[in-house]
This record gives sequence, C-alpha cells and structure tokens, in this order.
Amino acid sequence: MTDFKFGLVHAPVTPFVNGRVDLAGYGNVLDFHLAAGAEGLALPMHVGESVSLTVAEREALLEFAIKHVKGRAPIVTNVSEAGTATAASLASHAAKAGAAAVIATVPYYWTPPQHMLVEHFLAIGEAAKLPLFVLNSPAEMNEVEIASQSVVDLLKRSTHMAGLIDLSLDWQYMIEVITVARSVRPNFQLVSGTEYMISAAAVGATGLLSPLAAIAPKLIGNLYALCMAEKFTEARPVQEQAAILFRALRDSGVVGFKTGMRAMGRDCGGPRPPLKSLNEADTRVLLAELSAAGAMNSEPRGWA
Amino acid sequence: MTLVLKGVMQSPVTPLKEDFSPDYETFEKLVDFHVRTGATAISWPHHKAESHNLTIAERKALAEVAIKTVAKRVPISIHVSALALEDTYDLAHHAQKSGADAIIAITPYFWKYPPEAIHDYFVDLGTSIDLPLIAYNSPSYLDGIEFTGELTARLIQRLPNFVGMKEASFNSEKFFEIIRAALPLRPNFAMIAGVEYLLPSVSLGGAGSYSSGGAICPNLCVELYECCASGKWARARELQYKLSQLWLLFRDQYPSSLKGGCVIMGRPVGPTSPPLPTASPERIKFIEQQLEALGILDSEPHGW
Repeated sequence: MTDFKFGLVHAPVTPFVNGRVDLAGYGNVLDFHLAAGAEGLALPMHVGESVSLTVAEREALLEFAIKHVKGRAPIVTNVSEAGTATAASLASHAAKAGAAAVIATVPYYWTPPQHMLVEHFLAIGEAAKLPLFVLNSPAEMNEVEIASQSVVDLLKRSTHMAGLIDLSLDWQYMIEVITVARSVRPNFQLVSGTEYMISAAAVGATGLLSPLAAIAPKLIGNLYALCMAEKFTEARPVQEQAAILFRALRDSGVVGFKTGMRAMGRDCGGPRPPLKSLNEADTRVLLAELSAAGAMNSEPRGWA
Repeated sequence: MTLVLKGVMQSPVTPLKEDFSPDYETFEKLVDFHVRTGATAISWPHHKAESHNLTIAERKALAEVAIKTVAKRVPISIHVSALALEDTYDLAHHAQKSGADAIIAITPYFWKYPPEAIHDYFVDLGTSIDLPLIAYNSPSYLDGIEFTGELTARLIQRLPNFVGMKEASFNSEKFFEIIRAALPLRPNFAMIAGVEYLLPSVSLGGAGSYSSGGAICPNLCVELYECCASGKWARARELQYKLSQLWLLFRDQYPSSLKGGCVIMGRPVGPTSPPLPTASPERIKFIEQQLEALGILDSEPHGW
C-alpha cells in the first residue's frame, strides 16, 4: 500500500471565474504542469485554496482532474479538514475517485494534543486505504507540530502511513523524524513542502511538494534534479533563485501566486473571499521582485 | 595568524568542583583533550559552559587558562556575552589583552529592541577591539530577536573584523538568507551551525559547526565533517542521524546530561551549577545505555 513514491509533485492553483471553479481553465493548469515536468500533482493544496472550497467542490475538482489527466501522472489529493469525519469522508471519496495518495495536515482551528492528532490521521488513513502523507506546517497551523513520536505511533498502527511533508524548515525536526520513522519503517518518505530543497535532500528527503512550480517550473525541476543527484554545490545558485521567489511570495501566499500567474500569461482569476487580490502598489512590488530573479527570464509564458 | 574557521570547533564545558567553583586543572585537561582529538578551533564559554553562572572574574581567569592551554595550536575565541553590556565590553577587552584570536557575542539578552539596536551594538563591540568578531544568532532562545540577511550585510560592510556567525536557528530559510547575503560581500565569511547539524548546513555553504558532543564523541564529529566536506553524503547521513540523536539526549537542561555523559567516558567534569540540575545516577545510567546503543562506547576514546 505504501509503494507510492512521492517525487517532484506540483501544487496547482485553482482558477475561478465569477467566483466559481473554472474547470475548463483547470484543465489548462493541469496540462501546463504535466508538460512542465511534474511527476505528480497534489490538489487542492493551500495554494489551491482548499480551505475556501466546499466539500462538493473538492470532490468535483478531484474527479475532474483524474478524468482529465488520464493516468499521465499520479494525482495526490489534500483531505485536510477541521473535523475528522469530514476529512475521512474526503479520504474515502479520494480512493473511489482514483487518487494515488492522500495528504492531511492537523485539524483546522482546533489545537488537539498529540494522541488526538494520531487518532485523526488514523481515521483518514483507514477511510482512504491509500498511502497517507501527513503535512507538518506549524507556522500555518497555530504552532501545532506533528511530534516525531506521533509519526512513530502512526507507522506502528497504520500500514497506510507513508510519509511526512515538512514545511517547518527545521533541521532538528526533520532529522529526528526521519531517524525515528525509518527505524520503524525503512521506506518512510520525508518530503520537503517548501522549495528549500538542498538541506532537506541532504538529510534524506526524497520528494518535493512545490507550489512555486506554477510560476517557475524549469527552476524547480532543475533544483530538484540537482538535489536528487546530491550535487549540492551546483544546486546552490539554483536554490538562491528559488529562495528569492519563495521570499517574494511567502507573505502574500495564494494571493501573490495568482498575481504571478497572471504576469506569466496564465491568468487564473483572483482568489476567493475572504482573500482579496493584491492592490496596485503591492502588485508592482511583487512583479518587480519576481522579475529581479534572473531565472524568470527562461520560464515558460502562457499555457504552452 | 589568519583566522580560519572551518570544521567542527569545540566549545568546552566548564569543569566544576563539588562546591561549584571552577576546576582549573580539569579545565586544562579538557581543553587539551579537544585540541588533541581534532578540534579545528576552541571557543569558550558558550552557554553550555554555563557562562551565565560564572562571575566575570571567573570568566577572565578561565579564559586565560584556555588561551594558555591551547597555546596557538588552533585559534581560540572567547564568548563575551553577559547580561550587562558593560561586562561584555570588559570581557572583550580582557580577551584581546590575554591573547585570544577572536571574540564571539550573541544579540543582547532579555530586552526587546529593533534591528537597528543590534546593528549599533555590534558596531560598538566590533570597533572596541582589534580582534575578529563572530556574531551569534539564536532566535529561539531570545524570543525572536535575530539577524536578517540585510543586517548581516550592513555589518559586514561596516566592520572589517566581522568574520563569521554562529547560527543556531537550525532553519534552512534563515541560514540561507544570511549566508547568501554574506558571501558575496565577504567570501570567507564563516557560517557556523550552532551544534553539529553539518549535513544541512555544509550542503548550503556553511563552514562547519560548534559542537555539542565533542567531549563525548570527537571521532564521530571529525568523521561527519570530513564526509560532508568530501561529498560522501550517504555515510554523512548515517553519522548525522547518530549525532542528532546524541544532541536530543543532551539538549534538555543542557549541559547537565552532557556532563553526565562525560563521567561515562572517563572524563568527569563535575556537577552543573544551579539553577541547572546535575545529572542523577539514574540519568547517567540512562545516558550510558543510550551511548552504548549508539556504539559510542566502542568507537570513542575513554579517559583523557
């Protein structure tokens, strides 16, 4: 059940037209990612505004994506929710729809203790019966971290638990998790959830979940390949370009991504409320920062 | 001598007698042990040397012993941070007079202040002496007070003697932000990981680390650095995982457990001064079991 290898997975944005999910446009987005080197797609992640989609919309989005992609690459879906039952129901739908794996972060809003996190994830894994990747992002989730002992408990209690996607960027955490997890299950996968790939790869991460690939797929593909080949010195200038883009987009998140997508000739509309599009001044700042990154000159424009 | 900061640099603990007064004789033995077992530099007294619990007079007397014992075999820097900055300037002046090769200082303790205050402080400190200056960044211990890339760059431009930084965020984004601001301005600027997280830092261009475990496992420290420096990444991972497990063992109530471990290695350095606890016999027994499980008892020197 856990033989799915994460690899370089892109996280697409979700296009809206008049406030509705634009499925035709989504087809273009998915085709673009596949042509631009994605080994897999993860949808809808936070950059895909998962939190602003209804459960029905999320299910329709996944069904559309699987039908549209037709097996060209595995589709991983994000089933994160506040309540365990809703998350589990999304997970069971993911299996029926044909997803290759599921991703879940800690519950929204609540700040449950570790043993309840374990129960939450166990229920999701059991409902999906697919490889489960838990996503650790304490800065986004009220400082709730998935403790390394919880990873161990999940591995011991669930054959579906496949790996952890880390957004903490914390070396102590990543190494602790990979050490204890691999002592229970040697093929446990550590996936970097940010494009700071050098350190993650050095300590043993084998996958990358990349939102930035929507803006700069060549750069990210290059960074990933160099890191997987352990050519860290050569990877450093590429990492530097990725860091410039990461910094430029970090604070505005999906709002900035959508501005960037438009600038790259891949208009996906604005974000859904309560998020608002960047104002003119912030747009100018962001676009100036993006174009200051030399790597942007060689990135594809439009949907080609 | 040209100051080269590279590899695993040792920051000795402070051996104490049963009444918590400094044990000068054992201190000499310990400093000498570090130099003989591969330390590329010595730096004392970091927090693990209980710098806060020593009087200023004791710090000066011990600094003189350390400088004399090292006897120019490797560079030695003196950590001059104290609660009152008046003491810091005094310790810096004393370090210079006593023949130290550099000083190291953290952002001021306790107070909250803007980045400009960090800048002014390091300019004042750096211009008050005629020695290389190493800054120390530790945001998690100082409630988010930290260096930025921009601040580092400004200080490099202002201070010709600003040669490196001890960076203890253990965070890819922070480490890379600072190193990519620093290296274009000063190619020999040494980014030094706070403890031996060598794999994720050397791969990002780091120069080496200060050490937590050097009094216990100098062979492991030296081999890990050599593997990272020569690109033997698979072996480096194996060693890094082991050293990280040791760090987690020592981190809590640092350096109580480390001093407890020294007993097992036949290099007793006495108790830890209050408010820190001294490792109990049960704790020492536990540490011994851990060291045995990690193979340290067989692979590392016993006694002085």
